Amino acid sequence: MSERKTGVYLCSGCGIGEAVNMAALEAVAKSEFKLEPKCHALLCGDEGVGLIRADVEGGVNQVVVGACSSRVMADRFAFNTAMTIRADLREKVIWSHPAGDEDTQMLAEDHIRMALSHAPKVKQAEPWVEGNYSQRICVLGAGVTGLSAAKEAAALGHDVLLVERSSELGGHARLGSKRLPHKPPYDAPAENDLADLIKAVEGNSKITVKTNTTVTKTAGMPGKFAVTLSCGAVEDVGAIIIATGYRPYDPSKLGHLGYGASPDVVTNTQFEEMLKAGKPSRKSNGAAVKSVAFIQCAGSRDPNHLNYCSSVCCATSLKQALEVIHADPTANCYVVYSEMRTPGVAEELYRTAQKAGVIFIKGAVKAVDGDLTVHVADELIGENVPLKGLDMVVLATGMVPNSTNPDAAAQEYGQEQLNADIDPEAPIKVAGYCGEAPATVEKRVQAQPPGGSLLNLQYRQGPHLPVLHDGFADSHYICFPYETRRTGIYTCGPVRRPMDWAEAVEDSQGAVMKAIQAVRSASAGAALHPRVGDLSFPKVNLNQCTKCRRCTVECPFGAIDEDEKEYPQFNATRCRRCGTCMGACPVRTISFDNYSVEMLTTQIKAVKIPDEFSGKPRILIIACENDAIPALDMAAIKRHGWSAHVRILSVRCLGSVSLLCISDALSVGYDGVMLMGCKPGDDYQCHFVKGSAMAAERLSKIGETLKSMMLEPERVAQVEVSIADGERIAGVINTFVDQITAIGFNPFKGF
Amino acid sequence: MTKTMNYYPGCSSQGSGIHLDTSLKAVMGKFGISFREIEDWNCCGASVGHICQGHLPVAALSARNLAAAAAAGPEDVVSPCAACYLNTHHTNEEIRNNPEMKAEINEALGAVGKSYDGSLKVRHVCEVLVKDVGVEALKSKVTKPLTGLKVAGWVGCQTVRPFANTEAGGQWETYDEPSFLDDFINASGATAVPFKAKTKCCGGSVAVMSPDKTLELIKDILDEVKASGAQVVATPCPLCLTNMEMYQPEINKRYGTDFNFPVVFYSQLLALAFGMDAHKDAGLHQGLIPADVVVAAAK
Amino acid sequence: MSTYDLNFARWVYENVDGGDKMALCMQCGTCSGSCPLGAQMDYGPRKLFMMVRAGLKDKVLESNTLWNCVSCYNCVVRCPRQVPVKYVLHSLGTAAVRAGIPAATKSDNARFARAFWWSASKLGRTDERIVTALFYFSYGLSKGFKMAMANLPVALGLVKTKRMHIGAPYMCKNKGELKTILAKAAEIEARHAK
Ligand code: SF4
Ligand code: SF4
Ligand code: SF4
Ligand code: SF4
Repeated sequence: MSERKTGVYLCSGCGIGEAVNMAALEAVAKSEFKLEPKCHALLCGDEGVGLIRADVEGGVNQVVVGACSSRVMADRFAFNTAMTIRADLREKVIWSHPAGDEDTQMLAEDHIRMALSHAPKVKQAEPWVEGNYSQRICVLGAGVTGLSAAKEAAALGHDVLLVERSSELGGHARLGSKRLPHKPPYDAPAENDLADLIKAVEGNSKITVKTNTTVTKTAGMPGKFAVTLSCGAVEDVGAIIIATGYRPYDPSKLGHLGYGASPDVVTNTQFEEMLKAGKPSRKSNGAAVKSVAFIQCAGSRDPNHLNYCSSVCCATSLKQALEVIHADPTANCYVVYSEMRTPGVAEELYRTAQKAGVIFIKGAVKAVDGDLTVHVADELIGENVPLKGLDMVVLATGMVPNSTNPDAAAQEYGQEQLNADIDPEAPIKVAGYCGEAPATVEKRVQAQPPGGSLLNLQYRQGPHLPVLHDGFADSHYICFPYETRRTGIYTCGPVRRPMDWAEAVEDSQGAVMKAIQAVRSASAGAALHPRVGDLSFPKVNLNQCTKCRRCTVECPFGAIDEDEKEYPQFNATRCRRCGTCMGACPVRTISFDNYSVEMLTTQIKAVKIPDEFSGKPRILIIACENDAIPALDMAAIKRHGWSAHVRILSVRCLGSVSLLCISDALSVGYDGVMLMGCKPGDDYQCHFVKGSAMAAERLSKIGETLKSMMLEPERVAQVEVSIADGERIAGVINTFVDQITAIGFNPFKGF
Repeated sequence: MTKTMNYYPGCSSQGSGIHLDTSLKAVMGKFGISFREIEDWNCCGASVGHICQGHLPVAALSARNLAAAAAAGPEDVVSPCAACYLNTHHTNEEIRNNPEMKAEINEALGAVGKSYDGSLKVRHVCEVLVKDVGVEALKSKVTKPLTGLKVAGWVGCQTVRPFANTEAGGQWETYDEPSFLDDFINASGATAVPFKAKTKCCGGSVAVMSPDKTLELIKDILDEVKASGAQVVATPCPLCLTNMEMYQPEINKRYGTDFNFPVVFYSQLLALAFGMDAHKDAGLHQGLIPADVVVAAAK
Repeated sequence: MSTYDLNFARWVYENVDGGDKMALCMQCGTCSGSCPLGAQMDYGPRKLFMMVRAGLKDKVLESNTLWNCVSCYNCVVRCPRQVPVKYVLHSLGTAAVRAGIPAATKSDNARFARAFWWSASKLGRTDERIVTALFYFSYGLSKGFKMAMANLPVALGLVKTKRMHIGAPYMCKNKGELKTILAKAAEIEARHAK
């Protein structure tokens, strides 16, 4: 990088000029940083931006803008040949604090100090780009989901490698009768149009289909995966889509619902095949089926079996009942349910079934006799009424995700994998937890689905894709549903969550979009979300590395392997730029061009700490940029102000917060430190999956250290906030400030 | 403006609801609306006809009336009685929308050489007052406002249910918060007090046959009348009126209350406020509980 | 012991006024909750409908639910599935009377209905005097007399206020025509009932 030339630009618009003393702000830059700031009354306007641009053209390569929050006007203040650093004077200063106030002025000046102090350390990020990249997408599983994904990816111009374990394409849909309604008016079973989908895939020259094939090994990283197939071939692909679907719940475990008591007790999957073959007849004696009972939630929503709702069995039973009645209008169909779950348009099918005379019995099945008498405790009548004279009982069994290959030998999570995946259910103990501490939940064993891994990842963190406790592949449910915790590998269809055909098709499209984004970003050296387009990546100085392995264990995305000498080996395109490795490293030797522990501590130390006689405490809030910072901005927009004694430091993820940040803050005289980030746990909202959990884990160990420093553990706390907490967040801050004030000033102040 | 309408008065017009008929005709006359009574009309079957007969014979009762009305002219059929309106409208809709019903009803009418094709519109008199006459017009005819009279407007059930808010029923009122009756009361110069039992049911014909089951329903309504501070109850429904008048002594006996509220038809209030004769036109002498307080209010 | 029997439900769907719509009942209970006499019913409409589905035919036809409906139409306008609850109940009542269920034929409602129908069909009009008299005396002479006496003050009040007239009942002129129409309608109705 050529010689650094920094320009400072202050905006007095949006009321900033009226609320704070601009001249004093300029003076900070001049006297403390020897920089000559330029002030404008509307910096984001054409004239203001023109002013900056002229300087940039004249050689300024670092622009520090003191104006609004970094979350707004980013495009206005973006310049090709200069990097931009923002100091927020609007949202987190004048919109959240009283105008013309001494404390507000101190806050604004500190924001300028924080920005300018670390600016000299920030470098323009240079991307990691090396060697060849593949744009090809591998799709695993050729059921409806996989076929749709292949078709979609090919339509968008990408070559596809479609790998199917069995000898035929189509998965469950191949054996099924009609499909659930998927177009208006959504009120009747629809034709099974799988053949069209198969034809579209088979006739597409961009798609290579491999049947009777599995993946035996996967190495590399996004843009550079090497996938070894069971036939021995090694294929280069850029991204992988897992569309391995589901398997029906094992009915041999459903003896309490009559399975095995009579050949005429069948599963919905078996019944589907019977319907496909034509008018169903009794297995026991070949007689026509005139009277059928469907038993819902067979094995689902049952703590002894599958804990979750399989989501499609209600609609499937409705469809099957209608198929029975369409074939024989005099047939009697009963559906025994505890709740009929027909969200959205599936309600139309429910109505059709009601109109067609299907009887719905709300209640629990107590027993199913060998003569097919179903004993129901009818909740709506409040009586036990046996259901007699049935020809067939259909168990609406649920879906078990194929997040592993059930046919392959089990590959256990190694001990290290367990270390890496901190138990998502573990209660989080933080030194001084502020606000409502999360309820302590009973520790559950991390799910280890049976069977071998699908991809056999050659990753330091093990061969499996991490799964949630119900066995579905882990993904960020709210923000990034298709993401797994292995970058460049996406799940869609029932392996991700129970879903029907139409939903799976839609899901496959989502995953394809993500896969395409992954291959394209990889070859540009750019990050995927949430830091989309970020060109920085972690760099390690191996001279200082102690081989402690914290980084390789803690990376939420398995981005870091270990080389023969046990040094960390970064796979740049697997990295999501959270900085969790940076926060983990005890010797702080991991950093990014534009983000490092040093940059953070410099900002922390740049704040002027008033002495204890001023009566003004200083509290550091380390806030995650993904949810906490936006929530603070929302609070500011609504003018829910908070204490002016607080200084806010924005970080990529709480995972990137080194304990050094906290000890530095306390040693320079801050009276308290609060970490503000997303919800950890199995239902995490952390944008980097484990970042906030890691922070909590690290914080849980700081209590003893604080005590040994003669400091109260309550001075350090972590709170969960979500992006929707704009109403609550000011109160959370003020409560913490009160708590710290009650404890008293940090004895190290001015030390 | 003069206008003729097919009029179906219903059986109560010759009995317990006679003063509805008298006062209504007086009021309508003020707006140039004259009622042409359906020639030789018969009973509608009320809400019990079907019990021993089944559906079709009851529908046939209404159909005979509709056929006679259609023969007299294409004007809308109006009825002042909730049950008459309900049955007639219901049958009319069945003839319009259900081809099988239409065929069967016409088969029955055909036995006497008559037929009906569903061409008429069947309306409640109150809808005509709201839409064709209008509350402003009602106000304009008031010469002796009933100032100071506090009235609980009790719509009852069947005047608005189940048709007032349907397309075929003219969409002229809501089922639970109808305002027309209060508007009529206020138009007369009286004050419609806030009243919570507006659309509560009196028990209908069950009140007539099995009062034990329904006394409490009427008592609940009377409690609300009392709580509202009203001096008098006004209603559009002949059965509501008779039930509430008739059972007050029995309720007092059973529950130890002292209800003695006069019950009148809205049309009686209007006729009086329009300056017409309190007895001859408004029929205000015909209450089982004397409505002197109403007559006295007109000034 | 009963068992679920779709045949009764099917029969109701096909033969009861509004029965086809009853198949759409989603058991929300809005009807039962809205019913002024719900508390006095053996079963609210919601439960009764489930019993129809469960094939509890005797219990359904013997229930007093069928006779406690006061025709307020709360349920009809509130049912989220547009089940015409009131019509279904009344039509089930008709079915119970036809089936000769004693609880039905001896109900106040059936007695009243017979009296009412006599007046409506024979005279073409309901004469309140005749209907009540026939109704009272359907319970036998002495009970009927007692009921009539109890209601005498009301009757006298109505006479005094000229709301009940003395003398021959009002009636249709063309009673023959009415009789023919009703006879034909009854004949068509019987065709359905089979
Ligand atoms: S955490 Fe730091 S010291 Fe430890 S292995 Fe990683 S880079 Fe090396
Ligand atoms: S920045 Fe985050 S994703 Fe990247 S290597 Fe470090 S811990 Fe892993
Ligand atoms: S209101 Fe309608 S849907 Fe609800 S229980 Fe009653 S009949 Fe069924
Ligand atoms: S119409 Fe009958 S069943 Fe319906 S709410 Fe009224 S009284 Fe109850």
